[in-house]
Amino acid sequence: MNLSLKMFIALLCVFSLCSSCKEKMTEDEILTIGIAPCRKPAAFIQTLGFDPNRSAYSTETDRYKGVILIQAPATETDTIRKYQHPSWSKFGYMASITTDDLGNAYTFPVPFINTENQTIQTLNSIFKIDHSSGEMTLFTTLPKTDSVKDMVAYGLLGVYFDCHAKKIYVSSVNGSTRDKENGSLFVLDQSTGKVLDRLDGVDAMGLCVGGVTGEKKLYFGKARTPEVYTVELDKEGMFDGKPEFAISLDQLGPRGDDKARRIRFNTKSELVIHGIEFNFNLAGQSIKPETKYAFGYNREEKKWLLMSTE
Amino acid sequence: MNFSLKLFGRLSWLLGITLFLSCGSENGTSPSQTPGSEAILQSDSLQLDNPITKQLWNKIDSALNTSHHVMLLQPCNPDQMEAQTIALQHPEFMANGSDSLSPKPLRREIFNVYQARPQEIPQAFQQGKVYKVELYNYALNLTQTALVDLVSKQVIQVNTLKGSQPDIPLYLKDVAIQLAIHHPDVIKALGFQPGQEDALMANTKTALNHTKCERSMHLCVAPTFTKGDKALWAIVDLTDLRLVGIRWTNTGPEQPTRAVTEKRLKFEKISECYCKQMTHVQKGDWDFNYIITTSDGLRISEVKYKGETVINSAKVVDWHVSYSNTEGFGYSDAVGCPEFSQAAVVAVTEPRISSIEENNQTIGFALEQNFSSEQWPLPCNYNYLQRYEFYTDGRFRSAAASLGRGCGNNGTYRPVMRFSFPNTDYSFHEWNGNAWDVWKKEQWKLLTPQSPNYSNQYQYLLQSKSQKGLYIESGKGQFHDGGRGDNPYVYITKMHPDLDEGENDLVTIGPCCNTDYQQGPEKFINDEEIENGSLVLWYVCQMKNDDTPGKEYCWSASYLEHGVYKTRVYPCLAGPMFIPKKP
Repeated sequence: MNLSLKMFIALLCVFSLCSSCKEKMTEDEILTIGIAPCRKPAAFIQTLGFDPNRSAYSTETDRYKGVILIQAPATETDTIRKYQHPSWSKFGYMASITTDDLGNAYTFPVPFINTENQTIQTLNSIFKIDHSSGEMTLFTTLPKTDSVKDMVAYGLLGVYFDCHAKKIYVSSVNGSTRDKENGSLFVLDQSTGKVLDRLDGVDAMGLCVGGVTGEKKLYFGKARTPEVYTVELDKEGMFDGKPEFAISLDQLGPRGDDKARRIRFNTKSELVIHGIEFNFNLAGQSIKPETKYAFGYNREEKKWLLMSTE
Repeated sequence: MNFSLKLFGRLSWLLGITLFLSCGSENGTSPSQTPGSEAILQSDSLQLDNPITKQLWNKIDSALNTSHHVMLLQPCNPDQMEAQTIALQHPEFMANGSDSLSPKPLRREIFNVYQARPQEIPQAFQQGKVYKVELYNYALNLTQTALVDLVSKQVIQVNTLKGSQPDIPLYLKDVAIQLAIHHPDVIKALGFQPGQEDALMANTKTALNHTKCERSMHLCVAPTFTKGDKALWAIVDLTDLRLVGIRWTNTGPEQPTRAVTEKRLKFEKISECYCKQMTHVQKGDWDFNYIITTSDGLRISEVKYKGETVINSAKVVDWHVSYSNTEGFGYSDAVGCPEFSQAAVVAVTEPRISSIEENNQTIGFALEQNFSSEQWPLPCNYNYLQRYEFYTDGRFRSAAASLGRGCGNNGTYRPVMRFSFPNTDYSFHEWNGNAWDVWKKEQWKLLTPQSPNYSNQYQYLLQSKSQKGLYIESGKGQFHDGGRGDNPYVYITKMHPDLDEGENDLVTIGPCCNTDYQQGPEKFINDEEIENGSLVLWYVCQMKNDDTPGKEYCWSASYLEHGVYKTRVYPCLAGPMFIPKKP
């Protein structure tokens, strides 16, 4: 046996030992992933005189740039209250928001109609709204491709905080072109924003971590096709497998070609997918149609079945 | 025909005499050969007259003239007839039957009447004789269902499903197949005249594949024909009774997992044929390339007349639209490719070439491209037209129009046009009323109707040392295309091919709502000397929209035809004419 072969076998042993050392999850623990609540409202919301139970962040672009906090009316005669911290509109139009178990919120800028309000500098950056002060500051900037011919106008398209492993998942399509799917999925440390793991060659939008199928998986909506894929995760939330097809939205709903913008589990363990039209352009519509698709998991057939569309 | 359409009638795209370019056609050539590029798209306005459609239009119009305005399911048995008759008496079931602004009826048809399944019947009526009636509204693309109990002779439940389409009745399947098998494009693609029996997918044993017309929101199906290991999808629009387009796919193990739909057909064709590659046109004495860009609209380049290059490139960098009633309200739109682009308003039809006629003589040809928001002509959606005109006498014009409808009747559209020239010794001259003044340095100017014209026509002159060049004539309503004048800001800057100043695609260069010269090109004005150099001309027209009846401009309006919505457009074409100057 030559030296290199011996070294290879030794390395293989080390890897298998490490793999067997990985902490196992119990079945009950897995089944609650994505469903068990952990998110807290930010402490500063109460200091504004807003009711945290009736308040939510919004990045709607109709009248505001950036993030706003909206308090829903308590009664029919009550009115909607809105608040915007000065730092929330400084970085252009923002996309989806996820909150963590401390009340911090994470979001990222996206171009809206044009690229006028978005700079290359913030194309792959995540911003954090501090749970205590309410100030929005740069959380981290992910590795990015600065200039590639025909590169898409988008950077980040999805962010999700996993309550189970307390990791932040982010999807980026920065560097992708029409002909090449060059996006990445990142796993970030909650406190530092450091990249802990990444999966390349994937253009994804909506993200969610769940364990309804009996395995802890990251669910991600493909940005190019009307499909949801999964990739298995270990207990610490690191990637532990290859992407696998889970659900197709092709020909479903009024448009038949929806991309999964947002994915969440509801309390009935259904996977609720918010589908929108997305074609890697900046086309805006006066009415932004979105369809909610609820899928239930058939454990015997190991298949997701469409339960309802609204 | 309204005033604007009369004026605009000479533009062939409304008259249906356009030639549709495909990758490798006689009018334009490009090398692409992919399934998407081989697809054929039909014009949105093209409807071939044939006995099947004529007969059906008559039937539709007759139904619209009945008291209930609904086309009934026929043939049907007595129970089915009774069920639909009862349903037609129910106000909720009959809601959504007319235009919201006029009493005109919308096209609706009962597609199916069948005994309701037990799980669909409310508990209290389980012992009854319950039928389900499915009514499709073509104009609003919605389905209404009624559960009718024939024992108590009442409607027990009504549901409205927006964006939903029921299974089509048998006769409509036949109509779709007939429209497909008799269409010249289908016959040409298959190489033979198919029969009704040929519209059968061997693997699914069904004649029609499911498809969607996601952009038009029309009722569409896809008769599919197999030939060897391939399948030809023919998408038929049953709302307009026309073929939308055709596309080949592979069958067997390689068959596509996704259906061929209107949007996929259009996006793939345009992306493959016109976004990924240049198309070359050689017509008469003109020779040029064109491409749909990711954010600068339809760009023409290497434009030669009688073998001599006259324009390096011409394009529309941005569309700025501002609304006067709210300060700072508007949009800065880039136009371009339908996917993987920075375009806010995208190309969904192919470029078109048509001849320009005057006094029954062909005096040139035009290349046109539309860019459209998905929900146009609904409010706050846009449709832009780019038009390049090439005349046999060497004149050339670049024009742009908004077809509305935008967010209000107080909008001003400002397309930012950019032209670069091949000459390295050009100087820019302005007519001062008595003589030509040379612009020494980069600058801008607002051209007004009062600005003096040389020879009553030209305001500016681009001239080389050899005294050859181009006169520039701005639009003042003299081009007989409905245009009411350009009112342009004109900018001259020095060409810097090494800098990102527009030779490649430009991102948005200006905000929506500046009402002065600050439309973006001023960013490239640096007080540089421009005499005898390589120059770039920026030309920003200003067109104010109008919705006054009879005076509509940069506008569009919906109207009903056979009970479904159509769009009438009132374009506001603007843009300069370039006229060759001999030494």
